[in-house]
Amino acid sequence: MSPHFDQDEDEILGKAYDGRLVRRLLPYVKPYWHRLLIAVLFLLGTSVLDLAPPFLTKIAIDRYITPGKPSGLMLILVLFMAALAVSFVLRYFMNYFMQYVGQNVMYDMRNQIFSHLQRLPLRFFDKNPVGRLMTRMTSDVDALNDFITQGLVSIMGDVVTLGGIVIVMFFLNWQLALVALAVMPVIAFVSRIFQQAMRTIYRNIRVRLSRVNGFLNENITGMVIVQLFNRENTMFRQFDALNSDYLSANLRAIFAYSVFSPIVMFLGAVSTALLIWVGGHGIISKWGPAFTFGALVAAMQYTDRAFQPIRDLAEKYTILQSAMAASERIFGLLDEDQEPPDPEKPIILDKVDGDIAFENVTFGYDPEHPVLRDVSFHIKPGESVAIVGATGAGKTSLISILSRFYDIQQGRILLDGVDIRQMRRQDVRRHIGAVLQDAVLFSGTITSNVRLHNDEITDQRVRDAAVFVNADKFIERLPDGYDHAVRERGGNFSSGQRQLIAFARAIAFDPEVLLVLDEATSSVDTETEALIQEALERLMENRTSIIIAHRLFTIRHVDRILVLHKGHLVEEGTHNELLNRQGYYHRLYQLQYQEQEAVAGPA
Amino acid sequence: MQHLRHVVPYLRRHLWAIGIGFLAIAVATAFSVVQPEILRLAIDNLRTHPSLNKLTVYVGLFLAAAVGQSIFAFVQRSTVNRVSRYLEYDLRNDAFTHLQSLDQGFFGEMHTGDLMARLTNDLNQVRQFVGMGMISLISTFIMLISVAVLMVIINWKLALVAFVVLPFCTVTMFVIGRTLQRRFRLVQDQFGQLSNHAQENFSGIRVVKAFVQEDREIGAFSKVNREYVQRNLSYQRLSGIMWPLMFTVVGVALALVLFVGGGEVARNEISLGEFVQFNAYLGMLTWPMISLGWVINMYQQGAASMGRIMEVMSREASIRDTGRTLPISRLQGKIEFRNVAVRYGDTPVLHNVSFTVEPGHTVAIVGMTGVGKTTLMSLVPRVLEVDDGEVLIDGVDVRRIPLATLRRAVGYVPQDTFLFSATLGENVSFGVQEFTEDEMMQAIETSRLVKDLEQFQFGLETVVGERGVSLSGGQKQRTSLARAVMRDPTILILDDAMSSVDTHTQNEILARLKKVMEERTTLITSMRISTVKDADSIIVLEDGTIKERGTHQELLMHNGLYARMYRRELLQQELEVEDDQEALV
Repeated sequence: MSPHFDQDEDEILGKAYDGRLVRRLLPYVKPYWHRLLIAVLFLLGTSVLDLAPPFLTKIAIDRYITPGKPSGLMLILVLFMAALAVSFVLRYFMNYFMQYVGQNVMYDMRNQIFSHLQRLPLRFFDKNPVGRLMTRMTSDVDALNDFITQGLVSIMGDVVTLGGIVIVMFFLNWQLALVALAVMPVIAFVSRIFQQAMRTIYRNIRVRLSRVNGFLNENITGMVIVQLFNRENTMFRQFDALNSDYLSANLRAIFAYSVFSPIVMFLGAVSTALLIWVGGHGIISKWGPAFTFGALVAAMQYTDRAFQPIRDLAEKYTILQSAMAASERIFGLLDEDQEPPDPEKPIILDKVDGDIAFENVTFGYDPEHPVLRDVSFHIKPGESVAIVGATGAGKTSLISILSRFYDIQQGRILLDGVDIRQMRRQDVRRHIGAVLQDAVLFSGTITSNVRLHNDEITDQRVRDAAVFVNADKFIERLPDGYDHAVRERGGNFSSGQRQLIAFARAIAFDPEVLLVLDEATSSVDTETEALIQEALERLMENRTSIIIAHRLFTIRHVDRILVLHKGHLVEEGTHNELLNRQGYYHRLYQLQYQEQEAVAGPA
Repeated sequence: MQHLRHVVPYLRRHLWAIGIGFLAIAVATAFSVVQPEILRLAIDNLRTHPSLNKLTVYVGLFLAAAVGQSIFAFVQRSTVNRVSRYLEYDLRNDAFTHLQSLDQGFFGEMHTGDLMARLTNDLNQVRQFVGMGMISLISTFIMLISVAVLMVIINWKLALVAFVVLPFCTVTMFVIGRTLQRRFRLVQDQFGQLSNHAQENFSGIRVVKAFVQEDREIGAFSKVNREYVQRNLSYQRLSGIMWPLMFTVVGVALALVLFVGGGEVARNEISLGEFVQFNAYLGMLTWPMISLGWVINMYQQGAASMGRIMEVMSREASIRDTGRTLPISRLQGKIEFRNVAVRYGDTPVLHNVSFTVEPGHTVAIVGMTGVGKTTLMSLVPRVLEVDDGEVLIDGVDVRRIPLATLRRAVGYVPQDTFLFSATLGENVSFGVQEFTEDEMMQAIETSRLVKDLEQFQFGLETVVGERGVSLSGGQKQRTSLARAVMRDPTILILDDAMSSVDTHTQNEILARLKKVMEERTTLITSMRISTVKDADSIIVLEDGTIKERGTHQELLMHNGLYARMYRRELLQQELEVEDDQEALV
């Protein structure tokens, strides 16, 4: 068996410079252009100052050391130290400003991605796993930071350094400059070959590493199957094959480096040798006044300094490449269509009575396959209605479209006679509160989970809400009460407790219409079950409420029951009416609820 | 820190490479320290007795030394630099093998994400420490010592000047190291906060939207985001000193040597050649001095990471063969449970469970969700162990049967189907080493997977999984079933294995299985009574123990839980029939 992996979208590396992407990146840097400008100026400053030491060395040798006049060396020392001090300050602040810009651009980028995601329709989240979104927020944004702090600007610095060295060397002694430059094209050529080889090698390394990790991940998840089917040895052989593929790619990289860096080292020695030979020749044969020991030493030092940026080019290239790929993915995410905008002149209802009407509503997540077909009903203010039906009958969809998580394809949904599409989404959701199936809690405290970020909800209101839904009893038993820490996803609370907290949250927000997905969970103990039932009853009082009911208790306490079957509304009436009709509800009741009756006894 | 000793055995395998490598380092160092010496000769020659011929000889010697250095640098890099990659490879393979020996108890308590982090990030840290830390530390050390000695020999006063200045970098790194690490940890903590916030928001986006919290979430996120930037900048403010400082310290050393050494040359106390040579040595020391500071950091991180890896590697498998294991290679398939009890922590799951299944018989286990059916089934292939009592096969306690023999005898179809991202055919033949085309056809025919194949363009070559074709629930279960049948098992275990298969196909599969399993033992659970009603014997579990047992007819007569479940199911079928009729209209 051979594992099959396609190239992950994260692995595709394209160009190192893409004008289209860079033009889109520029606006992010713009707000910080003055700091960036300072950083660039400082960088230019350090590049120029870095030219000073060899030059000072030259003057020291030619003017003071060889003629035997050590007194002038003090001035050289002072100048040298001054140059170092200024360069230290410039370098430090250049780095800081660069980081400042990079960090702030990342801040803006992350904020923008986060905000954009808040406005994306739920459809998007149905398709995109959280892990992928997290990669955009973290590693892709980091790649862009590398681009700013190490990519563009430092390449600019390298160019300036190289240019400066060439100019100064020509100024000192053009013959020696030519000799030094003779080696440069060879180094550039070798680096280019190396960089091309590394490009393939790095891609292999990345692809193979992701295969190793993919295989590892799959095997950890499916370990029990591997063990049950005695596949340990075979799986190990496959893993070993992937692992050694990865190893060999790495060894190839090491080999490339072990050829490349001695060659560069050797070329450096060649240029030193050439300089000594030509320079020495010049000094012996007295070719001119420019042939001095100082010029020779300075030329050697300058050549040495010119090597570093050329050697770094390959690394810079990789940084640019991954930054381009990362920005491509980030912009791909930012280009995702947001929810259609709210109407320009929305109808804003200050307070609603809670009159809800569905008029010939048809809806499907995929418009080709509607899950609700031509559904019409009317719910009067204050009325409580239960929706029942077998799994897949369209109950959950009904809640989703009422909250405008999804828009319907045909028909109208009216709140107090106003089409909810004429209202702003936030207003719809403010009037129509929902308690969702999986009671989602966030890490924080109980209070923060009830209030969310709404500061208008006072501590007192949090408590009142908790009391109202019977959550106060278990909360007060906790060591820190309302400040008790809630772990990620509410992992430290039972599902019944989570549900009660979710009820409290809904009540604290005090919507005029309440939607409840009441999923009876088998893991709720009887005591909590009783609390939930009581809470549900109170939730429904004096409030238009629609409940997807799974509890017998609930369907007995609502004013009316709507029966959905395969996307159609098939029956409606009170519990007793529907039972007497001996229709679909009757059988559904026997199937879903009678068992509860046997357990709970007549309510 | 003692965790790092676990690295030693991995290094021992590459003693030759390490030996040759260090030898090469020594030779390369010798070749490199000789170059400034030649430089000195050349320059002094130019000053005192200018001779073109001698100049050419020195230049030739210089190049020869450079060639020597380059060759041995190549040898060094292509031997010792590879060791850390081999270490990574070996360690990863060992970890994989070790994971394979661990039981479900381990995988239950350690999350996949955590395990992956240890085998990726931590492994990487250890490799970097061994590669860049240990090996470059030693080569640095060789260079440092030889150059320092030479510098002292040339001129101890100048050497003193250099040695007073150069360690400034290492010392600074050492001094701010602690603060730097603390600030870095603050950055990482905040990064954790930031990603948690985003992750929770994305996972709970329905609630965020339902309560119109988008804007406030953005506000809260940007606060966390801002704090992250602040902490990063606070880290940068300190760590940003290091790089410029390095430049400055090296520069100061050069300036002082120029001042002090230049004066000595001017006063003819040393030659110009010696001065240039000294400067060259100074240049050679720069990088080693700087890297010393970083190695200290790497050492701590490497040790911490190795510790995290060892936490996994030192975990002993609790389900494994022991000295008491008997040399059994074939099983007949008689299963016996004797007073079996299983607990999860303090919660009893099963207690007092006893029953026997004769070879060739089919026994069904029924009961409500969560009653312990899966737990019971997992005891047979020792995925789980009993806490009390025993499970015997052919009269032998499963704990004394070699694990390989035991599991080879079992064909298991789990409740949650897990397929590998390979082809359909490879998934079906997952549990067999060799097979014929006929056996493969038989397995996909028995499991009725054959009907699905028509849909797939590439038939058995179709790739399953994340990026391949995604299969329906039913197709997955049929593949999983074929995989078990393919093993021609002595004991077939079907744990609610047909929940996603429609009733009609299920009946076809059951009929075919019956033929295949004539001589074999079958344990089957299902939420549907219709799946199990033809079993030789049916066991009804309630509250973790056997409440009823008998054939379908006997249990109906008994009119207990089983009979109630069956009536409910009939009702449901009635509804489904009606659905079908409606669909026709």
